[in-house]
Amino acid sequence: MVRTIISAFITLALLLGVSFYEASYVQNKFDEFYVSLHALKRKTELGTVSYTDGLSLREFWDDHKVTMHIWIPHTVLYEIDYQLDEAIGLIYVKDLEGALPKIEVLLGLSENVPKGYTLTLGNIF
Amino acid sequence: MGLIIIRTTFIFITLFIVMRLMGKRQIGEMQPYELVITLIIADLACIPMGDTSIPLLYGVVAILTVYLLHQIVCIIDLGVRGAKTVLSGVPSIVLNRDGVDDTQLKKNNLDVTDLIESLRVEGYFALDAVEYALYEAEGTFSALPKKNYQALQKSLPVVLVDEGKFDEKNISLCKRDKGYFLDVIKQLGGKNEKDTLVMTVDGAGKVYWQERNKKYKVINLDWEDPLW
Repeated sequence: MVRTIISAFITLALLLGVSFYEASYVQNKFDEFYVSLHALKRKTELGTVSYTDGLSLREFWDDHKVTMHIWIPHTVLYEIDYQLDEAIGLIYVKDLEGALPKIEVLLGLSENVPKGYTLTLGNIF
Repeated sequence: MGLIIIRTTFIFITLFIVMRLMGKRQIGEMQPYELVITLIIADLACIPMGDTSIPLLYGVVAILTVYLLHQIVCIIDLGVRGAKTVLSGVPSIVLNRDGVDDTQLKKNNLDVTDLIESLRVEGYFALDAVEYALYEAEGTFSALPKKNYQALQKSLPVVLVDEGKFDEKNISLCKRDKGYFLDVIKQLGGKNEKDTLVMTVDGAGKVYWQERNKKYKVINLDWEDPLW
């Protein structure tokens, strides 16, 4: 009985710890990504963006992505990869008007993906 | 391919540890909630093993959550008086000194044929050879035979009436017609086969008859030669 109670408490603590860490980790990583994306968007709007800016953002994202595979379904990360590659490609061919909607999609994803990890009624059901 | 091997190994180790922590009952005779947990766990383990787009952690966390729920149910089961009845159920005495308890059978979604089959598995072929028979909460069957039970089951009984209906095949096996057995029912104090819960006859002509909610009766028919 004592062993059962102890193991239940340990498991509960472990699960709660992992849950809170996951929510905060995912939120922090996407917040940082959002800030970098926003800077890229500003530069694109002003027409000062360069292909190197795009590559730097991809490098930044790749670093974040490694550990995010533990927490997020890989298909979500592939979607971000796809949109990011398209945006960088359009920047490379100087199609800044075409790149802006892609960056906007990425901003939307950065805002909405972490929301999927919060304890809300909608997410539970 | 290598990914699936690693993921499967990881899930296997997690499941193995969790099953060991859950105790011996989980791999032997299971309570209803334990069966539910085992079924869920098997499914939870399969999804992240096969689908590499799902983080492995999702499977591990789900298994640990099921383990936590199992431990909580165990604590309630062992620590709260009366909880065992709700969580695991109680044994059902389906056959007693008055005969077959139809109410208990129905409560467990069983019928007389299931009871006879369980008795046969235990080595008792005649309903009157057993003093008590019960289904445990986890579904196993136990029977307490009468002292002279071997003398009471010299020949294999067959079911003639099962919950108000004649079994045509077994009647023809006895080389008699329905009318003959209706007379036997009337001789025993019944009206017809519809009120009969169970009626069996063995090869020597020993009849076990029980009306619904009444004590059983046994008579020996004067058959000249044993039929089987």
